[in-house]
Amino acid sequence: MYVVLGTAAAIAVAAVLGMFAFLAYFALPLFTADGFARMIDWTWRPADGSFGILPMVVGSLGLSALAMAVAFPVAVAVCAFAFGIGPRQPARIVMTIVNLMTGIPTIVYAFAAAIILPPLLRAGFEGGTGFSLLGAALVLAVLVLPTIVLVIDSNWQGLMAATRHTTAALGMNPTQHVLGVMIPASRAGLLAAFVLGFGRALGDTMVALMLSGNVPLVPESPIDSVRALTAHISLVMSLEVGGPGYQSAFAAGFILLLTTSAISIAVRNMGRRGSSGA
Amino acid sequence: MRRVAEILLVITSWVSSLGVVAVVVALVAFLVYRSASVLDLQLFFGDVAWPDAVFGGARVLHGIWPAIAGTLILIAASSAVAIPLGIAAGVFISEYASGRFRATITFLVDVLAGTPSIIMGLFGFSMILLLRQTIAPDAGTGLLVAAVCLALLVLPYMIRATQNALEGLPAEMRLLGASMGMSHSQSVLRILIPAASRGILSGAVLSLGRAAEDTAVIMLTGAVATAGGRGPQSLTDKFEALPFKIFVIAAEHNTAEELSVGFASALVLLVLTASLFSLTFILQRSLERLWKA
Amino acid sequence: MRWNHRSVYAFMGAFILAFGLSGLAGCATETTEEAPVSQEESVADITSSLDAFAGLEGDLDIAGGTAHIPVMEALAADIMSANDAIAITVAGGGSGVGVQQIGEGLVEIGNSGRELKDDEIAKYPGLELHAWAIDGVTAIVHPDNPVQELTADQVKAIFAGEITDWSEVGGNSGAINVYAREEGSGTGETFIEKGLGNGDVSERAVIVTSNGAMKTSVAADAAAIGFMSIGGVDDSVAAVSYDNVEPTNENALNGSYVVTRKLYSVTQGTPEGLTAVFLEYLMGENGVTYIEDAGYIPTYAR
Repeated sequence: MYVVLGTAAAIAVAAVLGMFAFLAYFALPLFTADGFARMIDWTWRPADGSFGILPMVVGSLGLSALAMAVAFPVAVAVCAFAFGIGPRQPARIVMTIVNLMTGIPTIVYAFAAAIILPPLLRAGFEGGTGFSLLGAALVLAVLVLPTIVLVIDSNWQGLMAATRHTTAALGMNPTQHVLGVMIPASRAGLLAAFVLGFGRALGDTMVALMLSGNVPLVPESPIDSVRALTAHISLVMSLEVGGPGYQSAFAAGFILLLTTSAISIAVRNMGRRGSSGA
Repeated sequence: MRRVAEILLVITSWVSSLGVVAVVVALVAFLVYRSASVLDLQLFFGDVAWPDAVFGGARVLHGIWPAIAGTLILIAASSAVAIPLGIAAGVFISEYASGRFRATITFLVDVLAGTPSIIMGLFGFSMILLLRQTIAPDAGTGLLVAAVCLALLVLPYMIRATQNALEGLPAEMRLLGASMGMSHSQSVLRILIPAASRGILSGAVLSLGRAAEDTAVIMLTGAVATAGGRGPQSLTDKFEALPFKIFVIAAEHNTAEELSVGFASALVLLVLTASLFSLTFILQRSLERLWKA
Repeated sequence: MRWNHRSVYAFMGAFILAFGLSGLAGCATETTEEAPVSQEESVADITSSLDAFAGLEGDLDIAGGTAHIPVMEALAADIMSANDAIAITVAGGGSGVGVQQIGEGLVEIGNSGRELKDDEIAKYPGLELHAWAIDGVTAIVHPDNPVQELTADQVKAIFAGEITDWSEVGGNSGAINVYAREEGSGTGETFIEKGLGNGDVSERAVIVTSNGAMKTSVAADAAAIGFMSIGGVDDSVAAVSYDNVEPTNENALNGSYVVTRKLYSVTQGTPEGLTAVFLEYLMGENGVTYIEDAGYIPTYAR
């Protein structure tokens, strides 16, 4: 029994480590000679021998940041609604729908949005193709919303139980309770929700690929097109194996992995602090 | 000032909640509306009689059945890897591992859970190239690679669900086995795992849903636009899958009717994953209720 | 916060109900719509000529050039209808994918809308190119765009991002939205080399990943300009006259329209077995119908 389970756990661990080692092995050529310097550049023009992926780093961060700027306040507001501000039955319905949202495939959002959004954005904003930072970020916001809401929700459930009677006794209404107690007391949980949502937005491929326009430039306005690291990987995997364009997929993958791993570490530390504080 | 903040919060919370509901309702309504003209058996099977396609292996060259069959076989194959492995690893972490080791594995599982799915695809594709150059010159992209990479994607959900289900059991239950003279392994096998089975099952269903919806992994590891009118016939076959089909139609549609087929495929995929996720949700709720009662 | 099961069931029920209802609606309207009968009329001749595939079996995986896809899919469907033991898969991705996947041996046929690049030849020696069609690449705009002809210099300047407003080329004032293809695309390289005289494509161009995606994007954007295979052009977009030459495949054939290329299928070494029969069929007289139906000029008999 122990052996079987241990083997399974070992295989799972080996799979994870193996995958990382493998990607590191493929990214290795980047760190030799001028490989890395070549990728760390602001120009992506393969025809002229420029293979810089920094615009995609900015694109990914910009997309995730804008998506979170929309999704996070909405998620907190939805939780506030569910934890006292909204009437009981509507609150229940809203949370059920948020739960169901986790079951809506990314490709479904991306497809519907790719048909609906660009024409609307073209009509609404002067200039631009509609395939833009703003359009992709809005869809990403919807995509990551349930993640954020559910993390906050699980954090608030215990807090709610622990504080409800006290604040009620103090004569606070539900709004005052959320604003004065829940939000300030759950800073670590909110931060964890933010970081997890950010990571989810950063890791998405299909919305970025189908809605952002894939332009390898640093955006100057929200209606500019951008290219995300994830979309970049899928776009350059078609180039000849071993060439610098193809290699840039591994550089992009490496940067993504480092970022998402850092996010996992951060959330873990927050969880620790949060649980010892609560 | 505080009063203003309160009013603002009340307004935003109402607006946000209604907005979220509106987005979901609008999405579903849009899909139903745009696909209504093509939603019939012909959408799925073209001119082929459905029992012939489903049971007789008849080719469906104008219909989404091959993509549905591909998706079903794909999630079955990836689950065949991820579910047993995930349950076993979850039980090990929860019941046998301790201290630093346990913290390390849990951390790795978290990292894996946060890894973008395109990375799994990148991994699968370059691993195949490496295998071809080294020990397996005949290796190719196809069902097996896609299933393994998808298994990596859903493995953390499976491990976590198992871990949570076991760790959420009442403490008395752990004493039960010992009090009956069982060894730890006997107690895990006979008492704890059966007691946690509903939680484990919810993890398995969630994994199925995640595997069904992913596009980024399969687009690099063996999904194709058309695959001969059937689901994959062997582990090395390239395959059609619903999410990839939708992606292809989104880019390639020539006529309004093809676009409608895309929306219909999206609706079918949505119904499939929404059912799987709802089932997860119901299992988890019933579990909570079970131990609270 | 706790949720009750009933609401979940209710939502699941609503999903399924909505789905079922629209299915009924679909059935009701079904009678008014005829099933697509593409190429059914010629099915008798095709079946007899498909004898070449009799007795063959196995898988044939095809990937790459998106201009090639309509031909590949139509041919594959007919072959598979005639012979149940053959399974042909078709994937797109663009010429880059075609060359890479055949080079790495992941498919039996890789399609390319351009010749191999030097670094591809160096990386994958031994690839064999089989040309079976001639196709032009044309600039396309939205059908409502009053600008439907441009000089070579104007096209060059628009794609380079030097001309940025339609009024500069006689259209309604408004920004020009440039669409282009990903690296490695055969359609893209042909257009850049022959249509733009190796000129620049603005980095601001929105990148799409297939001929089909180009068409749908331009068809949806009144301010767009892009480029695609002439064979794939339909009413949803307008092909732009280039230096007063209409971009048609007749003009491509008589040499007056110069932005042309060949469509290739690439194999590793000399093709064998099913692959060989497939290519012979495609490049012989039987392939002509498929190639012409897709809007290209067959190289057969020329």
